[in-house]
Amino acid sequence: MNQATRKSGRLRAFVRNDHRYVFLGGGLLALVCLALISAAPSEHSFLGTDNFICGLLTGICCVFLAAAALALIVKLTHWKTYGGTFLKKPGPVRAARIYSYVLAAVFALLAADRLAVKLADTVRMCAAMDSNPPEFFLSMFYMTSKSMGTIAYGVKTTVFLALAGTAIAFVLGILMAFFRIQTPDKRDNDFVKFLKSAARTFASFYITVIRGTPMMVQALIIFFAGFNVFTHFTDLSVAEINRIWSTSTAGLITISLNSTAYLAEVLRGGMESVDVGQTEAARSLGMTGWQAMLKVVFPQAVKNSIPAIGNEFIINIKDSSVLSVIGCMDLMFATKSVSGIYYRQLEIYCMAAILYLILTYLSSLLLRYLSRKLDMPNTRGIPSSN
Amino acid sequence: MEQILKIEDLEKSFGDLQVLKGIDLEVDRGEVVCIIGASGSGKSTLLRCINLLEEADSGHIWFGGKDLMDLSTDINALRQRIGMVFQSFNLFNNKNVLDNCTMAPIAVRHIPKAQAEQTAIRHLRTVGLEDFIHADSRRLSGGQKQRVAIARALCMEPEIMLFDEPTSALDPEIVGEVLDVMKRLAREGMTMVVVTHEMAFAREVSDRVVFMDQGVILEQGTPAQVFGSPQYARTREFLSRYLEDKKP
Repeated sequence: MNQATRKSGRLRAFVRNDHRYVFLGGGLLALVCLALISAAPSEHSFLGTDNFICGLLTGICCVFLAAAALALIVKLTHWKTYGGTFLKKPGPVRAARIYSYVLAAVFALLAADRLAVKLADTVRMCAAMDSNPPEFFLSMFYMTSKSMGTIAYGVKTTVFLALAGTAIAFVLGILMAFFRIQTPDKRDNDFVKFLKSAARTFASFYITVIRGTPMMVQALIIFFAGFNVFTHFTDLSVAEINRIWSTSTAGLITISLNSTAYLAEVLRGGMESVDVGQTEAARSLGMTGWQAMLKVVFPQAVKNSIPAIGNEFIINIKDSSVLSVIGCMDLMFATKSVSGIYYRQLEIYCMAAILYLILTYLSSLLLRYLSRKLDMPNTRGIPSSN
Repeated sequence: MEQILKIEDLEKSFGDLQVLKGIDLEVDRGEVVCIIGASGSGKSTLLRCINLLEEADSGHIWFGGKDLMDLSTDINALRQRIGMVFQSFNLFNNKNVLDNCTMAPIAVRHIPKAQAEQTAIRHLRTVGLEDFIHADSRRLSGGQKQRVAIARALCMEPEIMLFDEPTSALDPEIVGEVLDVMKRLAREGMTMVVVTHEMAFAREVSDRVVFMDQGVILEQGTPAQVFGSPQYARTREFLSRYLEDKKP
C-alpha cells in the first residue's frame, strides 16, 4: 500500500517535472519515428502508408524536430546564458514537455504497428510456409511454430524439473544440513555419539561427492544404475523397464539429489549465521538442543536462506539442460530433436537460449518480488551456474 | 540461611589459557551476590559455567541437591530453575515480545498457552512493558530488550537469576531503567548472581561483593568491607580506577 502510493507519486512527479534533455531525447525519438513511418508496413498494418494519418504523424515529428533545432541554435549562441532565454520561461518549458508526451504516444503507436504487428505477421507467414526459409529469423520462426508442441512440452518439463527438483532438494537438504551439523556431546551416550558422527561423516561425504562431480555424469550413472537394477532383479523386458524407469524419473532424481548437496550447504550456512546467543538463550531457559534448533534457529536460518534457495531454482532451470544427455524430454532435448528434423542448428538453439532467458528472467523477477514481500535482502540479476 | 548454590574448586581452561583456577563460591537463598573485577578475570566464564553454557574442566557445582558437573545429571531440568540474562539480550529475533516470554514455558514446562500468556503479561507489566507485548522484538531499544529478557527469564519462575553484565551494552542514559528492574527483583527476595561493572549498583543492592582477579576469587565480603576497606592492593587498585572514572 505504502509502496504503491510512493510509486504512483514518483510517476506523477515524472510527468509533471521539468526535464533537462527534453529536446535532445525527444529529437532522437522523432527521428526514430520518421524511420518507422518510412519502413514498409506489413499485411495487417492498421496505419498503412502514404495516407492522412501517416502525414499527420510525420508532421508532428517534423514540428518537434524544428523546435529541437531551434533550441540547439539558441543553446549554441547563448551557451552560458541559456537559462535566461525565452526557451526556459515556464510557458515554453511546459509546452515542450507536453509535446514530448505526444511524441511518446506517436512512437508507441508506430512501434505497435511497424514492429509488433509486423512481428506477428512474420510469425504467421512463417507458420504458413511449406518449406524452411533460408533467412535466419524467418527460419527460426518457421521451425518454432512448426514444432510448437515439442518445444512447449520441453518448456513444461524444464519448469517441472526445476520446481519439483528444488522442492524435493529443499526437504532432503534440510535433513542433510541437520546431519552435517551434528557434533557428539560429552553428555550423549555412546550409541548417540556414534549416530551423530556417522550422520556427520555421511553428509560431508555426500556433499563432497555430489559437488565434486558434474551433474551430467551423475545423470548417466543414476540412469544406467537404475536400469541395471531392473534387469538384474526383475524379468521385465527393456520396453517395460523403460516405461517404469523413464528418463524423466531418472532426471528428476538426479536434479533432486544434486540440488540437495547445494541446498544442504546453503541451509547449513543459514543455521551457522544465526547468532550463537539465540541458542544459548534458548538453552538457558531449559529447552533441549532440538527445541532450540526447531523453534529458534531453524526458522531464522530458512528465512535467511530464501534468496539462495531461489537462486538454486534459477540455476536448476538452466542446469536441467544437461539431463538431455539421458534423453530427458526437457527444453534442451526438445530443441535438439527439432534441429535434427530440419538439419538447422543455429536458429533453433538461439530460440532455446531466448526461451531459457525468458524463464530465468521471469523467475528472478518473481523472486525479487517475493523477497521484497518477505522483507529480505534482495538478490539482483540471474545467478551463475554451480 | 538455606544454601542454594555451591561451587567447589571449579577449573576451566580455553586451550592453554586457564580462565578459572579453582573457584569456591556459595550462594544462599535470597542473597544478591555481585561479581566484580577487570575484564578477562573470568567473571563471565564463571557465570556461564553455572548453567553449563560453558562446560568446566573439573570441580563441582551443587544446585538443587544435584551436581551439575555429573554427566548423568539432567541439565535441561536444572536449567529451567536457573534464569540467565545476557549482555547482548539474545531475544529470539523470529518472535514478538509475548512469544519470547511464552515459548519456553509452553515448550519446556507444558503450561497451557493462555496461562503462559497471563504469566508473561504479569511479568512484562512489572518491567514496565505491558504496552509492547505484540511488538517485534528487533524493533525495541536496548533497555527495552533487556527488560524483556528479564521478564522472559522470570516466566520460567527460576530460583536463581544469573546476570551477565546486563547493562554493558546499553548507553548510560538507559542503564537506569534496567538497574531499577533488578533492584526491584532484589527487594522481592530473588536470589541473584550479577556480573557487573556498575559499582554503585553493587554497593547499593548486593548482600555480598566478590572480587575476581586472574581466575581466582581474591576477596569477598559485604559491600562495606570490599568497597570500604579492601584487603588486597590489587582490589584497591581496581576500585580506585573506577572511582577516578566516576569523578566528574
